[in-house]
Amino acid sequence: MKPFGYARPRAMTDALELVRGGATVMAGGTDLLGLMKDGIAAPERIVDIRDLEPLRGWARVKSKGLRIGALVPLVELETSADLAKLVPIVGEALRPAATLQLRTMGTVGGNLLQRNRCWYFRDEAYPCWLKGGVRCFAIDGDNRLHAILGAEECVAVAPSDLAPALIAYDATVVLTGSRGTRTMPLADLFVTPHGRVRREHAITADELVVEVRVPENALARRGAFEKAMERKTWSFALVSVAVSVKLIGGVVRDARIVLGGVAPVPWRARDAEKLLEGRVLDDAACQAAADAALESAEPLKDNGYKVGLARELVRRTLRRLA
Amino acid sequence: MSLKVVRTKAEFEGEMTEETALVDGTDLAAWKADATLGIVGKRHVRVDGIARVTGRALYTQDLYLPGMLHVRVLRSPYPRARVRRVDASRALALPGVRGVLHRFNAPKSAFRGEETIFRDEVRFVGDEVAAIAADTEETAAEAVRRIDVDYELLPFVSDLEEAMRDDAARLDDKGNVTESGKNDRGDIKRAFADAGVTVEATYRTSTQLHNSLETHGAVARWDGDELTVWESTQHVFGVRAGIQAALKIPYRDIRVLCDYMGGGFGSKGGAGKYTIVAAIFARQLGKPVRCFLTRDEENLAAGNRSATYQTVKIAAKGKRIHAIEHLSWSNSGQGRWVADPTGPTNGLYDIPHVRTRSYKVVTSLGALSSFRAPGYVEGTFALDQAIDELADRIGEDPLALRRRHAARQSDPFLGNRYSLKRLLACYDIGAKEIGWQHRRAEGARGSAPHRRRGFGMASQLWGGSGLPPAYATVHLNPDGTAVLRCGTQDIGTGTRTVLAQLVAEELGLEVGDIRVELGDTNSQYAPISAGSLTVSSVGPAVRLAAKDARTQLLQAAGGLLEVPAAELRVERGAIVSKGRRTPIGEVLGQIENYTVIGKGSRFPNPEGLSLKTFGAHFAQVEVDVRTGEVFVEHVVAVHDIGRVINPLTAASQVEGGVIQGLGFVLSEERVVDRPTGRVLNGNLEGYKVPTIRDVPKITVRFIDDPDTKANNIGAKGLGEPPIIPLPAAVANAVANAIGVRIRTAPITRQRVLDALSLRA
Amino acid sequence: MGRVPKAPQFIGPGAVDVALEVNGDAVRVHVPPHRTLLDTLRESLGLTGAKRVCDEGTCGACTVLLDGEPVYSCMTLAVACAGRSVETVEGLAKDGELHPVQAAFIEHDAFQCGFCTPGQIMSCVGLLKRSPAPTAEDVLRAVSGNLCRCGAYPNIVAAALGAAKKQVRR
Repeated sequence: MKPFGYARPRAMTDALELVRGGATVMAGGTDLLGLMKDGIAAPERIVDIRDLEPLRGWARVKSKGLRIGALVPLVELETSADLAKLVPIVGEALRPAATLQLRTMGTVGGNLLQRNRCWYFRDEAYPCWLKGGVRCFAIDGDNRLHAILGAEECVAVAPSDLAPALIAYDATVVLTGSRGTRTMPLADLFVTPHGRVRREHAITADELVVEVRVPENALARRGAFEKAMERKTWSFALVSVAVSVKLIGGVVRDARIVLGGVAPVPWRARDAEKLLEGRVLDDAACQAAADAALESAEPLKDNGYKVGLARELVRRTLRRLA
Repeated sequence: MSLKVVRTKAEFEGEMTEETALVDGTDLAAWKADATLGIVGKRHVRVDGIARVTGRALYTQDLYLPGMLHVRVLRSPYPRARVRRVDASRALALPGVRGVLHRFNAPKSAFRGEETIFRDEVRFVGDEVAAIAADTEETAAEAVRRIDVDYELLPFVSDLEEAMRDDAARLDDKGNVTESGKNDRGDIKRAFADAGVTVEATYRTSTQLHNSLETHGAVARWDGDELTVWESTQHVFGVRAGIQAALKIPYRDIRVLCDYMGGGFGSKGGAGKYTIVAAIFARQLGKPVRCFLTRDEENLAAGNRSATYQTVKIAAKGKRIHAIEHLSWSNSGQGRWVADPTGPTNGLYDIPHVRTRSYKVVTSLGALSSFRAPGYVEGTFALDQAIDELADRIGEDPLALRRRHAARQSDPFLGNRYSLKRLLACYDIGAKEIGWQHRRAEGARGSAPHRRRGFGMASQLWGGSGLPPAYATVHLNPDGTAVLRCGTQDIGTGTRTVLAQLVAEELGLEVGDIRVELGDTNSQYAPISAGSLTVSSVGPAVRLAAKDARTQLLQAAGGLLEVPAAELRVERGAIVSKGRRTPIGEVLGQIENYTVIGKGSRFPNPEGLSLKTFGAHFAQVEVDVRTGEVFVEHVVAVHDIGRVINPLTAASQVEGGVIQGLGFVLSEERVVDRPTGRVLNGNLEGYKVPTIRDVPKITVRFIDDPDTKANNIGAKGLGEPPIIPLPAAVANAVANAIGVRIRTAPITRQRVLDALSLRA
Repeated sequence: MGRVPKAPQFIGPGAVDVALEVNGDAVRVHVPPHRTLLDTLRESLGLTGAKRVCDEGTCGACTVLLDGEPVYSCMTLAVACAGRSVETVEGLAKDGELHPVQAAFIEHDAFQCGFCTPGQIMSCVGLLKRSPAPTAEDVLRAVSGNLCRCGAYPNIVAAALGAAKKQVRR
């Protein structure tokens, strides 16, 4: 790890000024320090934002839905009985995520902004496309853990378990920077690296994540989450699936099906969502939606198994909603 | 005291060796199988428990000596290259950098058959190119990045099966493939011609990385001409020999120490290049030097269990196994030896016609090293699955089939009678504990939709007899406390505790009266803590040393108490004479500070007998056929290892072996990028060792029948047996559950799903 | 209204003073901002109980309690611990008496080589602080981020549950 300057501002304005000056933001540090130790990141200055009050805490604001500060430790969301009453899927997604220590240290904002775990990306010795090189080493290399959907030049997958769960609940994200504050659908925070876009997130270098919001009307959704790992715990997802629906008279309205671990971004299976509209969640509907969700899958040499696995997890999560 | 030379045959890591040793006096008769022992055989918590739970136990990694320098190593980024030029000037210009070593400036130092520790042709990603010593590890790491090396890239091959092909890059003058073992029994050609049903299959196992939590490393300090090395090792005397070979200095001037060590599993058998580098730097720079591998380096250059490619052809005549041919190729990387996966095929089952061949395949990867039952884990994975495949084909229960070939009381490989073999008893207990009667040939429904349940089992054969030379001394202090000194080391198995129990039992003390000092070459020799031989090698010598101390104590006590020594005995810290107890301290306290020194040596193994350990594992699993997930629900591990000295620590050994075996069969796999020869998951994120949630219910049972012919304590080894049959037992259970056999370890979701989709 | 706060300055990259509490004692260390809490404990404070095994937040051998919560000290900057309280395995035994978790680890043989043990123990101590009467599932959750290569896992679960029982009885 290269030496760096360190600041820990208490005021947002200070933090934003430092960030605008080119410093790198650190919250829990669990991803950033890993990148630095691996030689993938080498910031000269770090702004530790953990004292920024506006980014802390979570609350339900009547008729405005849920607001989750970027600095809320993952473990707090995981264990809150109050939150579990509102959006149980969040705890469901976090329990199998990483380890208790990492969930204690890691924050909501950091989890959403964590970089991918591709073993070529994380090995300094590979000048891969995402790091500014000319090609993706995974496409010809060992790609058992890589994307089956939606990839362009880079086949790394979005690693967060929390992101699919929140996106399935129509979450939005609030970013703030020196040019002001903007709100976007959380799904739009994630970008597919392609062309000149050699990054995984839409946030700019001078912005901070302030909070994530779940709209009030999404709180009525029923949701479910499943994750497949290489061992029983402490693994990034081979596939994760978050689904949510509104059930009106037993009939599906407005389904959300979001997959993690299979695409460069949390993957919305929109065709499958549409297919469920107005249907009862019986075996046939769940299977049809699962099939549709993976319809466009294009597995690589080593990861064909992910297609069936993802299909089954979609089917199962939907079945659990019935 | 009378020294005599003995020669004995003994088994080490699956191979027979001839040992010459000196022994002192005469051996003790073994404790009788039904002897009433007060301390041996009883559960005892670890004598070093407090040190380990308080953080006080000092591991080599915890040693920070005043003025100590830190070393980091520059390792080859290429799988094969000639080092044409090394320019360290930018590194040396960094403040805090004290020295650099590389092939152009390092003193000549022999290392494992080579003349240097920095090769001119580096042969794997991770091979040592240069080393930097600096004031801090950070500085050393930064300096390593500033070394400029000119490499001439050479052809390489990293994949086992690719290296076996004729058109592969040739890495060795003799070719990439060399025969490393062969055995023929009976008439294999005729046997296959005669046989009724023949099954042929190919099995593959992946490279398993030890990932001992304490990485390999050493600290070296010179005081004048005397070199002290602290090293995380399974063999302080092996480290000493390595240092002597490299630095050409006399044993007089070398002391190697290893008090606490954080796991080895076979990989820490002698001096490493880090040891020699630390010693050279320490001498050149006049300061203590520490050289520890990082986790990534550990997984490149500190050994591994070879990946294997194995073919088995097995034939039945009626309801018996008639013939078996087992061929095995092991990826030795740049290793100089290779383990033999065909050992179990040669010796485990009584099969009339056997042909085995094993081959060493060199590749452009780090050398293998012993890894807990090297060869036998991989070989049993193939052998015991092949037996199940045959059983399925002939419509026989796989346990019933094995029974017919497990009863014989003589060694089919060596021809000798066994000293003791209770394999059938292992089967009986295991079958009962797992509920084998619930096994159905076609598997069963699982506990949830899409889940299938299956049962499987496999057998274990291993040596574990122990061997001379091994020595120990017991110093009995005038206050009745004692210190046991022995050159072995406790690598986490509980050696300290077990040896203290042996001393306490024989000398008549309480375990708490004894301190055990291990891991010091200033003691007399003890062998490597590997091959499941520590207790069975060192234990008998320790018992003799305690006996010698007891004899002397009674002589002294007889004089002091004015009672014939023959009428005295020692019991729980007191001299007992005609019902009167006098504490040892009171007796010896009458004289000025006399220390009784008892000595003991390990006598040879009995002539003409085969000494083996046996066991069987039974597994109950469920498999989700839609997600490929394997749930191991219950493992029953039954072992026949002679006398159990400490049931508490013995059970822990078995659980540990089972869990490491689960890693091997379900999740552990080194992944190498073929185009570049780089290891992609040489870390604890990508390389999946079992977590606490991966652990099933484990039932541990011992036959606990002392092997009174083996040695004077009746114990054999236990370190390795509990990993050997686990992978095959689980693989058999998986096959039973889903009706498709996964012949490649680890049995990942990917492999389960791919196999099931191929069937569909 | 208070005074207008000045924009904070960067400290480092050279060594800076950091004041924190370690095992109940106020300590001051002089370390650069990139120095981890783990290396600070081991090299500046001589507390070598926490181990450096992966040094990248994957194994748990460096687990300590930071303000009572389990964290990986290898992924925590010392400079970020200013004003906070750190507990390590060395601080558990009081007046020569082992912490119930330590005693239970010995009683249940919950370690073999012992290298992961300080981290395992700190995770269990953190658990008992949060939940004095944990279930087996609680234990699994608490130590899932602590790898043990020797496979002492079954005994670790037994030790954590045993310690909880004893603690309740006391």
